[in-house]
Amino acid sequence: MMYTEENKKEVILFGYGKFGRHMYHHLSQGGHHVKLATMVESNYEEASADRIKDIKRFNPKHNDSIRMLGINPAKHLLYCAMEHTSNNLFLVLSLRELYHDAMIVAISNSEENTRKLKYAGADTVIDIYEASAQHLVTNLTKPAVAEAISTIFFEKNNLKIAEILLESDTLLEGKHAAEIDFYGRGLILVAVIDREMGDELIYLSRGVDHKFDAGDTLVLAGKADDILSFKMELAGV
Amino acid sequence: MSKTLDHVIVSKIVRFAYLIEGSLQYRKVKDFTYDLLENDRYRYKRWFDFFMIFIILSSVLILVIGVKKPVPQWLDDYDLYFVTTIFIVEYLVRMWVYSDMHKIVIRASEESRYLHHPLSLYKLVGMIARDKWHYIISPSAIIDLVAILPSYRQIRILRILVLFRAFKMLRYARSLSGFLFILKSKKFELITLLTLTAFFVFIAGIMLYVFEGDGDNPNILNLFDAFYWALVTISTVGYGDISPVTPEGRVVSMLIIMTGVGLIAFMTSIIVSSFSERLIELREDRVVQEVGKKSHIIVICGFGIMGRKVAQGLLAEGRELIVLERDEEIAQKAHSSGYRSICADASQSSIFEQIGIEERISHVLCLTSDDEQNAFIAINVKSLNPDVTVTVRCSDKEIADKLRYAGIDQVIIPEEITALMGVVHAGEPVAFEALRSIIAYKGESHIDEVQVEPGSVLEYKRIEALKTKTFRLIILGIVRLNEEGEKDFLFNPDDETELLAGDDLVVMGHPAAIAHFKREVE
Repeated sequence: MMYTEENKKEVILFGYGKFGRHMYHHLSQGGHHVKLATMVESNYEEASADRIKDIKRFNPKHNDSIRMLGINPAKHLLYCAMEHTSNNLFLVLSLRELYHDAMIVAISNSEENTRKLKYAGADTVIDIYEASAQHLVTNLTKPAVAEAISTIFFEKNNLKIAEILLESDTLLEGKHAAEIDFYGRGLILVAVIDREMGDELIYLSRGVDHKFDAGDTLVLAGKADDILSFKMELAGV
Repeated sequence: MSKTLDHVIVSKIVRFAYLIEGSLQYRKVKDFTYDLLENDRYRYKRWFDFFMIFIILSSVLILVIGVKKPVPQWLDDYDLYFVTTIFIVEYLVRMWVYSDMHKIVIRASEESRYLHHPLSLYKLVGMIARDKWHYIISPSAIIDLVAILPSYRQIRILRILVLFRAFKMLRYARSLSGFLFILKSKKFELITLLTLTAFFVFIAGIMLYVFEGDGDNPNILNLFDAFYWALVTISTVGYGDISPVTPEGRVVSMLIIMTGVGLIAFMTSIIVSSFSERLIELREDRVVQEVGKKSHIIVICGFGIMGRKVAQGLLAEGRELIVLERDEEIAQKAHSSGYRSICADASQSSIFEQIGIEERISHVLCLTSDDEQNAFIAINVKSLNPDVTVTVRCSDKEIADKLRYAGIDQVIIPEEITALMGVVHAGEPVAFEALRSIIAYKGESHIDEVQVEPGSVLEYKRIEALKTKTFRLIILGIVRLNEEGEKDFLFNPDDETELLAGDDLVVMGHPAAIAHFKREVE
């Protein structure tokens, strides 16, 4: 998946165990700036051996130690990928207490831990085995679907899935989805989040001809160039 | 017999043996017959077994009916000619499939040529007879042979041998043979118990005869009566037709009753413990027999968190699967959760051969949490049948490279998939949620594929003509094989794109709309 400059985020990644290591490398390759924070000395050494420079030690039990990391909730995404669930859970709890508005993503290894991590304050929990099992099952039962998902979401190519927040006074405002020729622009409108109706995703396949308003978020799939052109069109450039 | 004639006959037999060896037709017929008689995984064997059980039961029923009144002539003829002919043919055919006579002939002929020693007809017949003799003296063949004898009606006592026909059922009813196997596994304990029982019967019988056989008890006329009483009492049956009348006899009775209770409890515990020991094994045998009628089986090795989730997903898609798990407790848990499971070491070839690696297994998923174990299982499977698709879970890219180099079809690293999802989330959190809900089939919109079969209504149809907008379906793209045989994904194809046989159309929409579209195109 290709990224334009605007969707590259600053990520603070906690943990450099087997989960954290993969996460660090993929986020870096995806163009995100990643700051690494580890609790374990051996992980710190391993990360240093992997020539990671932006790395700090911390203790999830001490708030001062977390504050020293210089977290800015408006700017940073917080990824909790520590090896042990108990550490991860405590970290999520500490982060949520310190930074109420931060976006916290946590890695889990079971449904039970997902529930606990969500309760502790994680906004998003990625279940490592759920995602992999789903991927495997789709591969076996619907290989073409697996190919499509892999191409659109995970591979490094010109295709991407993007979300666009509608500003006021754009050409979409007040218009219905059926009136806009996304297809002619090389795009597929996958879903919409209607500001007025909450955070729930609305899939247009449901049969509702959605009326766009400022504040809506559009989820689009298409070639990076087509998405950029559409964004420019919306901005009136 | 002159040497020349002997030589002529032997050379004709040898020539005939080579002819059979080269005959594909003969091999096919013999393989089919073998499968029908002996191969529990052969789908038609079940029907053959049913037929034989019917024949046996009808024959026993005729015997029972004949006790009180004469059976109708046609039933008698059925039993005498039809049933007996079936049994004779079956006996001979089983003897035929037991071994290959022509191979014995060829081997003997080649040996004689190598040693420059002429092959005599006498020696050849002797070799074949010795080989077949092993079959003739096997317990099941003896039962088969004895089951044929009751057809000789002139000797009435032979009719009781019809019961041997009932024993034949052991061959066809798997549960019965399973029970027999359990008893066989406790042979030592059962023989000990039997000897002990015989000893007590002997002692108690003698004692009662000594105390009451001199006329005190009118029911005990001889030693046989005393032994009969001892056996009936020790078994706790106690008919009451013979009972002790003297105080000494009653003391013997009390002792033998107490011994009998102990012996019965002992026997019950032996059989029950044997059953519980073998129950899992019997259930697993049944699993293998069940899948013997199926194909495209997916084998999941390891029933940890990952294995369980994959099994759930595959079962929901209606796929045939078997779980192989080394840990007995976890295998039992898989069984309790409704999966076909076998407690076995998947790094050994035997379990895959039992399930049918050559013809029944399509995919093997190595999903234990141990990389080395997964690699071991994967290589075991590939060495048995390279055509089976193998997917391996591992934790490291270096190991993944090694596995791919070894020819493993697909390697997945759960940590990597999670990391990729994390990257999507970092860039587009809303899109991430959309993706997650679509691929997990949790939202209102599903993603599915429609295959374009050769000659189907979709072949050569343009995208525009599919009218997917009517169903509010979104065509995400087409997966098409390129000239190198690799898959290409054509995203958002234009209206003029023509569908070709072998294409897979990837559509997104409401599940009901997808189902309706699929019905329309089928």
